[in-house]
Amino acid sequence: MNMKLKMQRVSQQARTSNQQSKFQITNGMFIAMMVNLIFVKAIGVTQGVLARSIGQDMWITTMLGMFQGMVVIYITYLVLRKTPDLDFMSLAQRLLGKWFGKLIALVIFAFFMAGFGPVMLTFVYHIQDYFLPEAPLILFFVAPLLVGALGCYYGLEVMARLALVGMLFIFLLNVLIIIGSTNEFDIRNLLPVLENGFPRTFMASLNYDTDWAFATMLAAIVMPSLKNAGKIGGTTGLIGIGASGLLTMIWSILEGAVLSSEVTSQYTVSCMKLARNAHIGTFLQRYEMIMIALYSIPILFEVMFFIYATSVCATRIFGLKSNRSMIPIVSVILGTYGYWIVGDHYRAINYLEETWPRIALPIAFGLPVLLLILRLMLGKKLNKQS
Amino acid sequence: MKRAAVLLLSLLLLLSQTACLGLRQINELALVTAVGLDIGDKPDTVRVSVQIIRPADARGQTGAPSGGTGQPIYSISAEGSTIFDAIRNLGRFSSRRVYWAHNFVIVMHEDYAKKGIEEMVDFFTRNHELRMSSWVAVTPDRPDEVIATITGLEVVPGEAIDRLFRNNHIVGRAPASNMMNLEEAFLSSSTEPVLAKVSLKPRGISNKKPEEHGSLEQVELAGAAAFHGDKMVGWLNSKEARGLLFFLERLSSGIEVVRCPNNNSEKLSVEFKEARTKVTPSFPNNKPHFRIQIKTNADIVESGCGINLDQEVRLETQKKLENQLKQNIMSVIDKAQNNYHSDFMKFGDVFRNKYPTEWQSSKKNWDLMFAKATFDVEVKASIRSGVVKAVGTEIR
Repeated sequence: MNMKLKMQRVSQQARTSNQQSKFQITNGMFIAMMVNLIFVKAIGVTQGVLARSIGQDMWITTMLGMFQGMVVIYITYLVLRKTPDLDFMSLAQRLLGKWFGKLIALVIFAFFMAGFGPVMLTFVYHIQDYFLPEAPLILFFVAPLLVGALGCYYGLEVMARLALVGMLFIFLLNVLIIIGSTNEFDIRNLLPVLENGFPRTFMASLNYDTDWAFATMLAAIVMPSLKNAGKIGGTTGLIGIGASGLLTMIWSILEGAVLSSEVTSQYTVSCMKLARNAHIGTFLQRYEMIMIALYSIPILFEVMFFIYATSVCATRIFGLKSNRSMIPIVSVILGTYGYWIVGDHYRAINYLEETWPRIALPIAFGLPVLLLILRLMLGKKLNKQS
Repeated sequence: MKRAAVLLLSLLLLLSQTACLGLRQINELALVTAVGLDIGDKPDTVRVSVQIIRPADARGQTGAPSGGTGQPIYSISAEGSTIFDAIRNLGRFSSRRVYWAHNFVIVMHEDYAKKGIEEMVDFFTRNHELRMSSWVAVTPDRPDEVIATITGLEVVPGEAIDRLFRNNHIVGRAPASNMMNLEEAFLSSSTEPVLAKVSLKPRGISNKKPEEHGSLEQVELAGAAAFHGDKMVGWLNSKEARGLLFFLERLSSGIEVVRCPNNNSEKLSVEFKEARTKVTPSFPNNKPHFRIQIKTNADIVESGCGINLDQEVRLETQKKLENQLKQNIMSVIDKAQNNYHSDFMKFGDVFRNKYPTEWQSSKKNWDLMFAKATFDVEVKASIRSGVVKAVGTEIR
């Protein structure tokens, strides 16, 4: 009886700290959140990294990465399927006790904090390098963090609805880039296929894995807020990763065919290179400002969600009831860390290509697999408790 | 308390969202429409010439509108040890800040191009303001003169050169080289860059003194500059450039002049159209071989032969057209292989796509392999009509 009460408290805590008691997200919102989270960095900087490692096969590496992401999101769903009201942290607490729950919260916190570097370098290098080179760097941190903190303060509903708008903008962005680039499309630039062999192409896909890692960690935190998560969580997750992969592949194909992989590999923000080349006919040129406006909503959602995820994790670590008090604190921590990464291009690129995959991949692959194993081993205990 | 906090946060948000940072008023900008690059007078320097538009005088009319000077452009040049340095030195003369986003064309002198264009490619692709669709050309004349010469009907010379390039597919005598395809070819391991040639020709006729034919210089877009790596290695004439375009831009139409079958001193103009080019590589005995097949339809658009254009004339003209197109192609291949030792016709690309494994071992000495490559050129032309006039039958 005592144990049962304790477990109810854990579920209650999961709900209150996630601010999900009043609002449950629909599967469309969940997919939109995943797409927003993956797409921004995947087209912004990942394609350049892929072009540097595998050349014109970057669209194949994106596809291979997408399939790996689908496997991992399904594992994430399997972990939470029988206890859809629990997130990873609450589940860990029920499996091995409070300390383990806090440890998992700390790991997810570390993941999102480390991931904020690549997110901010994507955002800042887009806006500062191409539009406002004279604006102070601090502006690019204060503005999105303020917007992000505000959205996060109003909770998951605001973020989920913003993600839906972001999804619409992503579609428009893709339509604009397709129309503006078809004229220069040269399929010969995508040949030969698998020039560096399958093993090397597969290894290069790990760079794209760091992008869907955001989405699986999102699922690890948000899936309990999804309506009928136990039934539709798996399919919704698969659609989310698949849609993100396909929307990203449009860019990797266009960057390869229009710019060539050699040109793509030269740029930190390769999508901007493609965007500034795009033109519709002779008179509609340089419409990258429109495209960046469309891109801004997904990227603001991304910042917003990172604040949300870290604040929820911090709430669990310190055993607080609501994540609202942690929002300003994590915003400052994220901002300081992001500023340190982005302030130096050399550090930023090295972090993006070397350090970040080493942090992201073990967590993205390891955490769902570890929890699945624990769940299989300690499933009986969990069933007894519930 | 809560309201005050929200108000404060909103004010902070508003402050951070202002658009005043990085603001540049249009009337404070010097809008560049053409750039010239040349070797500077001092050793190891570069001279940058820019053609800046005067908005008040460039409203689509010639002469001096009220408040204007009558000169639609303002051209200045400066020297520096690098392009960036020279551009900063332009600031010593220009009363407004130089703005690149509306640049139409970059013209380099051949001496500058022969020294190497790596710096130029890097500068203009690193510059976020510049359009990647800016045309790039090489000239044997002074680039500052080329970019300041008013050609055609346009008021702004840069815009006139832009129009020449945009209509280039009709004439088909020079590659439509822009920053985008220059950067692509420059960075590629399997092809070399090739740029359009622009030059000054005394072809303009003054309205005031029509008897002085050729008193006005005009910019001509014809021919090409071939590169090896980042250095220009030589020129291609307009016929060779025609042959080149079948490979670079999948040229589908153009005019060829052939001799009459009945009279060698008279000529026929034939317009070929819907031309399709196919390049098939093979690798017998570790030696690259390329089979080039061109199939095209054609119309007789002008005849000075004075005979009925019957079946016999048709067959004869077809053969002459085929030979002429083949000759254009062979001459450019010969120049690429034997004179310039540079594969600017993308044969390396085709070979790499068909033989990726072999390419890995041969890409390092592709220049040598390309020099030994053999070619089969097959042109199949089919004359379909004499446009509006009846062909094939005589008045009985």
